[in-house]
Amino acid sequence: MALHMYAPLIESYSEWHDSGGHTRNHYANIAEAADSLGPLELARRWGQAQRQVDLDAFTFYLDPKQYRPAPADWVPRVIPEDHWNVISAGVAQRLRAINHFLVDLYGDTQDVVPDEVMFTSHYFYPEVQGFRPPKDVFVHIYGIDLVHLGDGRYVVLEDNLRIPSGITYQLKSVEMVARYLPEFGAGYDVIPYEIRQTYHDMFRSLCDVDSPVCVLLTDGKFGSAFFEHRYLSELLGIPLVEGSDLYVGHDGRVYARTLDQDIPVDLIYRRVEDLDLFVPGLRGAYLDHKVVLVNGLGSGAADDKLVFMWVPQMVQRYLSETAILEQAPSFNLSDQESRRYVLENLDDLVIKARQGYGGFGVYVMPDLGPTHKTRVTHHILENPEAFIAQETLDFSNHMVFNNETGRLEPRYIDLRVFAIQDGNGNVTVLPGGLTRVALAGGRITNNSSGGLCKPTWVVRQTPGR
Amino acid sequence: MQTDVGGAADARTLTASYIYVARYVYSDTVLHNDNQFRIFPRDGEGQAVLQTQLWTLPAGRGVAFRDRFGNSVQRYRVVEQHTDFVVATVGLVGLASHQPVVDDASLEEVRDLPEAFEFSSWSPLVDPESVADLARDIAGGADSLLVAVGRVIDWVYGEVRYTRGETNVATTAAQVANARAGVCQDKSHLALGMLRSLGIPCRYLSGLLTGQTGETHSWMEFLHPREGWLGADPTRGVVLPPARDYVKLAVGRDYTDVSPVSGSFLSKGGAQECAVISAVWFSDKESSLNDALALLDNAFVVKNSVVQP
Repeated sequence: MALHMYAPLIESYSEWHDSGGHTRNHYANIAEAADSLGPLELARRWGQAQRQVDLDAFTFYLDPKQYRPAPADWVPRVIPEDHWNVISAGVAQRLRAINHFLVDLYGDTQDVVPDEVMFTSHYFYPEVQGFRPPKDVFVHIYGIDLVHLGDGRYVVLEDNLRIPSGITYQLKSVEMVARYLPEFGAGYDVIPYEIRQTYHDMFRSLCDVDSPVCVLLTDGKFGSAFFEHRYLSELLGIPLVEGSDLYVGHDGRVYARTLDQDIPVDLIYRRVEDLDLFVPGLRGAYLDHKVVLVNGLGSGAADDKLVFMWVPQMVQRYLSETAILEQAPSFNLSDQESRRYVLENLDDLVIKARQGYGGFGVYVMPDLGPTHKTRVTHHILENPEAFIAQETLDFSNHMVFNNETGRLEPRYIDLRVFAIQDGNGNVTVLPGGLTRVALAGGRITNNSSGGLCKPTWVVRQTPGR
Repeated sequence: MQTDVGGAADARTLTASYIYVARYVYSDTVLHNDNQFRIFPRDGEGQAVLQTQLWTLPAGRGVAFRDRFGNSVQRYRVVEQHTDFVVATVGLVGLASHQPVVDDASLEEVRDLPEAFEFSSWSPLVDPESVADLARDIAGGADSLLVAVGRVIDWVYGEVRYTRGETNVATTAAQVANARAGVCQDKSHLALGMLRSLGIPCRYLSGLLTGQTGETHSWMEFLHPREGWLGADPTRGVVLPPARDYVKLAVGRDYTDVSPVSGSFLSKGGAQECAVISAVWFSDKESSLNDALALLDNAFVVKNSVVQP
C-alpha cells in the first residue's frame, strides 16, 4: 500500500523532493521504507513510540501544571555530509568569535557593538565587568538556530548562549527511531557521536583538580526542560540538584548537602538564569573564582537578538575571517532610517522582541491578521529599542507523517545545532542537531511554541537508488 | 564663574548646583535591582555639564551610554540584597542666562524637517490625531511658528487646571484634553499633541526648575528651522524661557522615553513606596551624597530607615 503524499502546499525548498518532484537521493531509502511499511503500520509504530515517550517522561512543558510528552515526528531528517561540513565549521567559528567578544566585553575593551546596544541588553550584567571566567570560556554549551534555504545555504536565525535546551531531545529522537523504526536506517551510514566524554573532558579542562565534583543545577521538575536535566544528569553521571541542595559556605565555596556530609562542589552545570534566586550567594562565589559555572554568568549579553547583528563583525575582528554562515538580515529599530524602512515594509518582515526566547515575542508579519499587525506596529512605535526586524526567509520544508490521515505532509523546519567548547580551545560540534517542525500553517518551530522535534542524521554517503 | 555653554559668544552663564535623589522601599527582600537612570544633565544647547556624580545604596555596578535621543543614561545593577534602595546624583551645570531672541518661521518650513519622523508622529502618551480638532480651534488659523506655539501654550496654561492626584504617569494627551486638569507632565503632553497635529516637531523635556526644591519638572521644546530646539513651558505659560530657568535632564517623545528611573527588580514582594526630591540653586559649590540624603530626610518622614551614608 503506497503512502500518499500531499502535493507540497508549501512552496519553499523541499528537503524531500527535488524541483522535478522526485525524491532526493538521500531520502530514497527512507521513502522506500515508509512505502513498504504502509500507513497502517507506520501509524502503529507511531503509537508504540508515543507510548514509550510517555513512559520515559520525555516531556517538554508548555504549562508547568500539565504533563505533556514532547511532540515528535519520527521521519528522520537527513543532512548530507558536505552540507554538514559547512555547518560545522560555521558554528565553531561563530562560537569562538562570540566567546572572544564576551571576554572583551567584560574586560571593558570591546568596540564592535555600540554601547547603547550592549548596555541595554537585559542579560548584560555590569557586576561581571572585570571578571575573567576560568580559561576565558563564557560559552561552553552553544545552541544555534539555522534554517536551510536550499542547496546547502544555511542561514543563522539566532544564537542561544545562556542555557540552551534540546541536546537530549536530539539524542532521544535518534534513539527512538533506531528502536521503533529501524527500517528507516537501512542503507545509511549515520555519523555517530557521544556526548558523555565530550562533556567530561570539558568539565575537567575548566577545573584545576583531577576529578572535579560536578553537579547539574535545575529549576526543578516543573521547569519546561526538566526531562533534559534529568536525562543529562543520568547520562553524565553527575548529581541533579535543586537550589536548596546547594549553599555557599563560610569559606566562600559552594557545598552540596548530602545525608553524610556536605561536599564542596567544583563545577555547576547550571540550567537556571537567576542564580541568587536559587542559591543565595552563588553569583558572588562564582565571581570570586570559588566555583566554575557552565555557561558563564553574563554570556546572555551576546544572546540578545539585536547584538546578533554584529556577530559577522565579531568573526572579522577576533578571527580575521569572513563568517562562513550567512545570517538573517536584521534591522536595528533605534536607527531612524531602519525604523522608517521597517514600518514601510512591515509585511515582508519578522519582528522579534530583543529579549524573547523560545519563540515568544516573534511576529511573522506576513502570517498575521490586520488587528494583530496594528498591535505589533504600536509595540514598535512605543519602544523601538525593544525589538528587531528580520527579513522573512522562505526556508525549507520536510515531510512529516500525519498518523491521523496516514499521509506525509510538508511542514517548515529549522535546525538547532549544539557545540561544546572546553578550556583548551577545543570546540566540538555535535553532528546533526535537533530539527524542529513548525505547526501546520506556521513558521515558528520552537518547542516552547508547540513545535515538534524530529530526529536528524548526518550521513556519510548518499545511498543510491 | 563663566563657562562655555556652546551658545552665542556673548552668552553670560551662571553656575548651578543640583541634587536629585529617589528612594524606594520594598515590601520584601530584593535580590537584584537593575535600572536605567536618566538623571544626568544633557550637555549643549545652552547647558554645560561641569561635574556629575551618582551613587546607589546599596552600591551597584554601572555603565553609561547615550540613548537614541542623546540622553546620558546610567544603567546600574545592584545584586546585594536590600529592601530599601536609594539613587542620588549631584553636580554642577553652567546655564546660559540670556533670553533667546529668534526670527519667526512659517509652519510650512518646519513640517518637512527630518526630525518630524520622530517628533511629529504618534507616541505612547501623545496621539496628535486625538487632539487635532482642539488644536485647530485654538491655533488653526496661524501660519507662523511662534504664533501657533504661543497660542497653544497660552491656552494650555490658562485652560488646564494645575491639579495633583487626578492624573498619573500613564495619562494620555487626549485624557488631559477631556479632563482639563493635570500636572506639568500632562500639560506638556497636551501641548505636544496639539503642536504635533499642526505639523510642528516638538519634544518632551524632563528636568529641574532652578531656584526650587521639590519634584522634577517637565516642559517642552519645539523645532525652529534655523534656530534648532526652543523651549516652551505650558505649566508656567512661557515661550522661549532663558536656559537658566532649568536643568535639562532628558528629552524624548513623551514621558515614557525619559522616565528618570526605569527598570526591574527581582523580589517575592512587589509593593514599593517611592520618594523623590530634587533641588537646584545658583552656586558653584558641588553638593555631596550627604546633602542629597539630608534633603531626602528633611522632605519626607522616613520610617525604619536602613540607609547609612
